[in-house]
Amino acid sequence: MRTLKYDVVVIGGGPAGLAAALKAREKVEKVAVLERNDELGGILNQCIHSGFGLHVFKEELTGPEYAQRYVDMVAETDISCYLNTMVLDVTEDKHVVAMSEDGMLVFEASSVVLAMGCRERTRGQIRIPGTRPAGVFTAGLAQRYVNLENFKPGSRVVILGSGDIGLIMARRLTLEGIKVVGVYELMPYANGLYRNIKNCLDDFGIPLHLSTTVTKIVGSKRVQAVEVSAVDENLKPIPGTEEIIPCDTVLLSIGLIPENELSKKAGIELNPVTNGPKVDNALETSVKGIFACGNVLHVHDLVDQVTKEAEDAGTYAAEYAAECAAAQQADAAVSTDVETAAEACGTSNAETEIAVIPEGMVRYTVPTRICANRTPVTKIKFRVGRPVETAKIRITSGDKVIFESKKAKKFVPSIMENVNLTAAQLADVQDEIKVTLV
Amino acid sequence: MKYDVVIIGGGITGTGIAHELAKYQLKTILLESGTDVAFSATKQNGGVIHPGYDPHPGTLKAKLNPPGARMYPRLSKELGFKILPTGTLVVAYSDQDLKKVDELMDNARINGVEKVERLDFEQLHNREPHISDKALGALLANTTVMVDPFEVAIAFMENAMQNGVELGLCQKVRKIEKRAEEDFVVYTQDRQYETRFIVNAAGVHADDVAAMAGIHEYQVEGRHGNLCVLDKVLPIHTVMFPCPGPDTKGIALIPTVSGNFLIGSTATMREDKYDVTNDAHGIDELIKGAKMLLPDFDPRCIIRTFAGQRPVVLNNGNDFYIRESEIVKGFIHAAGIQSPGIASSPAIAEYVRDLLANAGLDLKDKSDYNPYREPIPDFSDLSLEEQDALIKKDPAWGKIVCRCETVPEGEIIAAIHSTLGARTVEGVKRRTRAGMGRCQSGFCQYKVMQILSRELGIPEEQVLFEEQGAQVLYGKIKG
Repeated sequence: MRTLKYDVVVIGGGPAGLAAALKAREKVEKVAVLERNDELGGILNQCIHSGFGLHVFKEELTGPEYAQRYVDMVAETDISCYLNTMVLDVTEDKHVVAMSEDGMLVFEASSVVLAMGCRERTRGQIRIPGTRPAGVFTAGLAQRYVNLENFKPGSRVVILGSGDIGLIMARRLTLEGIKVVGVYELMPYANGLYRNIKNCLDDFGIPLHLSTTVTKIVGSKRVQAVEVSAVDENLKPIPGTEEIIPCDTVLLSIGLIPENELSKKAGIELNPVTNGPKVDNALETSVKGIFACGNVLHVHDLVDQVTKEAEDAGTYAAEYAAECAAAQQADAAVSTDVETAAEACGTSNAETEIAVIPEGMVRYTVPTRICANRTPVTKIKFRVGRPVETAKIRITSGDKVIFESKKAKKFVPSIMENVNLTAAQLADVQDEIKVTLV
Repeated sequence: MKYDVVIIGGGITGTGIAHELAKYQLKTILLESGTDVAFSATKQNGGVIHPGYDPHPGTLKAKLNPPGARMYPRLSKELGFKILPTGTLVVAYSDQDLKKVDELMDNARINGVEKVERLDFEQLHNREPHISDKALGALLANTTVMVDPFEVAIAFMENAMQNGVELGLCQKVRKIEKRAEEDFVVYTQDRQYETRFIVNAAGVHADDVAAMAGIHEYQVEGRHGNLCVLDKVLPIHTVMFPCPGPDTKGIALIPTVSGNFLIGSTATMREDKYDVTNDAHGIDELIKGAKMLLPDFDPRCIIRTFAGQRPVVLNNGNDFYIRESEIVKGFIHAAGIQSPGIASSPAIAEYVRDLLANAGLDLKDKSDYNPYREPIPDFSDLSLEEQDALIKKDPAWGKIVCRCETVPEGEIIAAIHSTLGARTVEGVKRRTRAGMGRCQSGFCQYKVMQILSRELGIPEEQVLFEEQGAQVLYGKIKG
């Protein structure tokens, strides 16, 4: 079993992990990226459609092109990339245990960036009744088969859920001559981006059925049909509305869940709304020296936003590691007491914390707490719980309004909102701020 | 070429009997209609090894359940399947329930079940602090263990095969002919088997199989049950049942050998005994049952739902139906093996062996019989040092396939090349847990497909999901 020492260990080699590692390397010497697959880039590798990079590169790239830019940038550095390396455990003292074809590895890090991404919600979690035959796929798995493995998942497909991957797959399958019968969405509104509804469904004449869900899967060996039903305002199927739709394949695009099993092992506190870690404005979790970014923190709609968030996490993780090193060095000059050195880590951040509280239509915020002077700008991200026709964002501290957007606009759950607060705006805030729509 | 015994049905009952008969100098074959053993009721139940406090004294269940359950710890060591000692609580919510607990205590004593005690409110809440405040007390059966029923069936069959028993998969019995005393011919879709004796362990199909031999002694129906698989999150350690109803043990929370939990199960007679569809109503009932035991239960931890049919022989007092046919000599029924069938199966096997001996089968010990089976290492269960050593021997053990359950490629290759190797995606899942975790194979199915294709030497588009004729994929996109 080998032990390896790094300043910053990044878990996950997708867009979040690569951007975090690049930024971290600007501030510290030894950075490692641990990737469980045999290539870097994460899920972007199977997203062969375009629409990536409009914010970061000001041009429209495909997923693999976007990923390649970061893979190339990393290749120009001395960042160590461990492929086929699966992290099994992360401890509070930042020991990262991984399996690889070279044996078991233990990474000792000063700070850790969690960038493991998310997984797809499954049939079991929404408990679709019926049989359990071949032919039920999550949309992402089907995307993998079609775009990277060169296989057709079926010939006549029903898609449940209007998440972006499902919409993209509706178009992709149609282009390969596979019949997409329709997209069924439980909610009264679409969950994907507007541009995907238009480009992937409308342009191909694929019907989107809102307030409708799959209530049964039929077929003993292979899917033969699904039963769909209209739902009422409480999202319960309405008896008598059942309709049998013949198909041999069902694709599920019913949501993404940040994958935080490792975070739980490290004792990190999670936000039950996002299923991601609770973090402060420096993207530090409840465990000192462990940072989180990208879809493991909260599900993003655009990779460009993942990149920007990850760059921040990489920067702050490296600052933490550098502080640890400095504290150890200073301490070594006086004594060799490593304990004291470790305790000194991050103490400069010890100050009063401001809680960030979502109110009304605001479903969650990232961060959930702010250490005012820790970052030059405090970036607050949030989503609404359901569509709001027209409103303004308002952030208050007690009776005082510290931020209000100038123009009213429409809010939808599929679009993440951003507000940047300056140190001046947070200057007089005591215990908490509330984020709401008015 | 003639067989001494043909066993029809590769569930826990049939494989258990195969494992028992492997000890003797016999020519035995087990015929299974599916692509794998443990294909129906055996994979569709909770896997609790009930110690035997439940069956009514005097029944066959009461006779076979306690000794069957007592054999599990030894079998686990010999055959290398996992067991998890949990104990069972039968929880009382009312004075009437507390009387039921007393009745069960009496049953346990008469049935010879040891280490059964009565817990008062405080003892119960000390043992399981998260249980409902409404729980007044409970029966605690200390000897209950958990198993993965399909792991047990695979272990039974592999050991039997290693000791010379044959297995015919995808062999659906179509016709049975009795030519003379101790002279049957069993026909499947493409083969025929001459045999002296037949053991019918065909589960819900047992009456159909019996009818092929001209036996119409009984009718089998299915008692349908929904079950849910939960993530590894519940704060409980003991199997928890409410006090039982007349036909069912009630909806229980069940820790499993793999760290997950189950809620199981509902119990309704269905007209179609082959119908294993889940129904929304049943799943709601399970969630209600779970909340009754654990008020904080959060249904978001459900990762899969499934259902099964437990074979019930009608007009048989809910008991097992195990006997030699009175009409056709040499034809042994092992039918109606409903709960506690998994727990009873080792004792059922011995009982059937004795029925065969009474019917004229000579049982001579096999001198080279090996009671031990080497299981495939479970990577996720090993220490860091053991994991490291395994990878150093073969790097395939360091290559992750299933991230949720930590299953490396080496484990899957071993499962494909074991004595009763995996042939399908679901077969790999049942042997290694790849695809059984919280992502439900979303991330690893394509890798499992690649490995199956490579190791079996078949194109990926021919790899089966589970059943014959049901491939995962529909051919190549291009080329």
